Amino acid sequence: MLFGGALAGAVRTSVTRLDAGGETLTLEAWRRLLRDPAFADAVLFSVRIAVLATACSAAVALLIALTLRRRGTSLRALAALPVPVPHLLVAVVAVLWLAPGGVADRLLGGLPVDVVRDRAGIGIVLVYVYKEAPFLALLLLAAMGRGMHEREEAAAVLGATWWQRLRWVVWPTVRGPLVVGCIVVAAFVLGAFEVPLAVGPNTPLTIAEYAQQATQDDLLAGEGLQAAALLVAAAASILLAVAAVRLAKDPQGD
Amino acid sequence: MPRTGRYAPRVAAASVVLLLALLPSACGGGAGSPADPATTGRAGWDEVLGQARGQTVRFWMFGGDERLNAYVEDEVEPALDRLGVRLERVPVSDTADAVRRVVAERRAGKTAGGGVDLLWVNGENFASGKEVGLWLEDWSRSLPNSRRFVDWNDPSIATDFGVDVDDQESPWQRAAFVYAYDRSRIKEPPDSFDALLAHARRHPGRVTYPAPPDFTGSAFVRQVVAEKGEDQAFAFLRELNPYLYRKGEVFPKSQAELDQLFGDGLIDFAMAYDANFVDAAVGKGLFAPSARPFLIGGGALTNVSYVTIPANAAHVAGAMVLADLLLEPRLQARKADPSVLGNPTVLEVSRLGEQRRLFSRTAVTRSEYVLRSLGSPVSELAAADVAPLEQRWRREVLR
Amino acid sequence: MTERSASRRVLAPALALAMALPLGVMVMRAFADAWRAPAVIPQGWGLRGLREALSGMALDALANSLVVAVVVTTAAVALAWPAARALGERRVRHPALPFLLLALPLLVPSYATGTGLTPWFLRLGLADTLAGLVLAHLVIVLPYVTVVLLSAFGPPVTALEEMARSQGLTTAQRLRWVTLPAVGPSLAAAVLLGFLVSWSEYGSSLAVGGGRPMLPLVLLPFVRSDPQVASALSLLFLAPAAAALVLAARAARSPL
Repeated sequence: MLFGGALAGAVRTSVTRLDAGGETLTLEAWRRLLRDPAFADAVLFSVRIAVLATACSAAVALLIALTLRRRGTSLRALAALPVPVPHLLVAVVAVLWLAPGGVADRLLGGLPVDVVRDRAGIGIVLVYVYKEAPFLALLLLAAMGRGMHEREEAAAVLGATWWQRLRWVVWPTVRGPLVVGCIVVAAFVLGAFEVPLAVGPNTPLTIAEYAQQATQDDLLAGEGLQAAALLVAAAASILLAVAAVRLAKDPQGD
Repeated sequence: MPRTGRYAPRVAAASVVLLLALLPSACGGGAGSPADPATTGRAGWDEVLGQARGQTVRFWMFGGDERLNAYVEDEVEPALDRLGVRLERVPVSDTADAVRRVVAERRAGKTAGGGVDLLWVNGENFASGKEVGLWLEDWSRSLPNSRRFVDWNDPSIATDFGVDVDDQESPWQRAAFVYAYDRSRIKEPPDSFDALLAHARRHPGRVTYPAPPDFTGSAFVRQVVAEKGEDQAFAFLRELNPYLYRKGEVFPKSQAELDQLFGDGLIDFAMAYDANFVDAAVGKGLFAPSARPFLIGGGALTNVSYVTIPANAAHVAGAMVLADLLLEPRLQARKADPSVLGNPTVLEVSRLGEQRRLFSRTAVTRSEYVLRSLGSPVSELAAADVAPLEQRWRREVLR
Repeated sequence: MTERSASRRVLAPALALAMALPLGVMVMRAFADAWRAPAVIPQGWGLRGLREALSGMALDALANSLVVAVVVTTAAVALAWPAARALGERRVRHPALPFLLLALPLLVPSYATGTGLTPWFLRLGLADTLAGLVLAHLVIVLPYVTVVLLSAFGPPVTALEEMARSQGLTTAQRLRWVTLPAVGPSLAAAVLLGFLVSWSEYGSSLAVGGGRPMLPLVLLPFVRSDPQVASALSLLFLAPAAAALVLAARAARSPL
């Protein structure tokens, strides 16, 4: 309920502007936003990054979960260490390692590929994968309990191959949490600006960075732009979520 | 303590009372709230002090400068304590965060009891806030230390980015835009923008600046514009672009990133809107000890930064006392000491009388990391021009 | 089969280390007074970062953040449990809508949520109060906890509980011996996530915290301007978070 109020507040900010008399209703922010080619670039870029980052994170998460499912607490905790680290810090660590002049650069005498501030956004995807794959893996491991282990054993006894076991036992168990987790990750990537700020290109910007820059230019006018841009990000997240749910065909709990 | 010190407070109080008695009564706080500055001011500084006693002033300021935090906590806070007022430092990672809070309160219709009592603000945001009446009015010039030691005839103090201060903010720090080079790599740094371009031509990929609207990058562009005029400046920047670090396709997004590149030896020059930044960076281990500051052009781009009180602040009296305390000669001298902050004072030294001694010490503590002279100061552009310049840069220079 | 186990024996630790090791550079940075390229190890070591990290304000912030995070997480679990149960056990006729409503805050950028909440909090007089801060965090944390918890409940759990009830176990006993072990892993993950989200929350802590020091507020300003202090503060920040992680990992593993 409170959230509804927050959302309403965000919508309101996007259509009002503070001036001497108080707030005035104006669609100026939306008009400027939709007319700006830089914003269209930002939306495309952000969606592309979100999809890439989520897909790669999911793949790596599956790998981690499958590898670690029979292992103990210490290995699991180690693998999940990026989870408690806030995105901004992970980005800083990434810069420490991967930027020109970073540790990797010093050790190897030069990196073959630019991964920091590259136009394709590889750096951004890498950082997100590093942070989100363990998070998704945690969710997956939580779902892969003993029940699944027993079913797998049963299947193996019945002569199922590794691939068949994966497809018919593991996948149905983890599908639900994985889809939910992916939706959360994609939505987060669409809306956050700290990682692109640290490792993303100057152009195109992500939606969240665009929003933040809008208030740096001119605080009062920028607030409307910022709210509008973030609402677009939210809309994109919702669309992606709906698409994901459809694709996965009715995950558990829906 | 000098003899004048005993009488000074009484003289100050008397003149404040006299001055404020002459103020037209229509001059009140924009919000007309219970914390009406006109009434508190007219009653005299002693009454302000009395009202402030027991209050807690929430001072919102940038929290990422260890030395500034230490200065506020170790020097300002005890001094304020002695006056019976508590200081609560609220760290923010961007000074605009504080302004956003005040704006949010205004949007919510909160005209009194605001959460921000005093904030450190820059020109653009002050101008925007002034437009919509966010700041308390008619208080800054009447502060005792302000009246005695601040030269309000100095245009760099009376206007903030071309906008009349109009008694709504009180000066605190002086900022100058200086550059840095590494003595062990470069013998003679460029002394003009054209020389900078020549250097970039000879050593491609070794020069860059943060992308506007970053504060530092924006200031750099403004200095070029101030020197060459807008169209020429942009022609210059476009010409410079291909010789920049990473061919001008990638710019640092913040001054911190620029500092990192310079410290790591990937580029030849760093820059900052802080006369003392080389000293601070060497102290943090970010720059090699062979780094030195220098100026480009005839003088540094300078501005004065201020503290301001929101119109709806909950503890107006306490905030005024704090603003006044920040102008205290002893505290300003400590701030100017390179071992503390190295920040030039906003006070008019010739008015200090006996207290001038405090500042002579800072002249003695010379440091190779702080420039002795800032040349003939280049004044800032008007606040309204800043955003269009930043947008023009994005359109014309950033490919 | 043995071949795979052998390579998997190495793969698992390798993977785990690959995830954890890059963060080790933060420890080095925290104690490095100077670490500039092209040096592979710092040019100078020192405790400057640590001094700032153990200063008064940082420790106050640590305590505040801890208190708020624990309270918010507890409240979130308490509130999420019935909702997750209802949705998970498919007791709701049309689960899509409540699910969407519950998940909606996750899809909106948290910055927008924070700025949207502030005017309401100001109007309700909740800004700058501890209750307001907890509530603000709760709005952001609750969806995460609910969504993660929700995947734990389902027909298998209900069936187990039915079995237990038919065996004559009381509600409390069912809770302890059947329900909690069954949903344990997901519950642990939900608690961990809730704690971490609150622990890392910057926007709303600044907006409605009223100047109360919180660890992210103290840490973030340093992140770009002073890497050494930032790294030291990060270690302070990560210690409880990593501890929570270990606890959750253990809890997720043990029952069953």
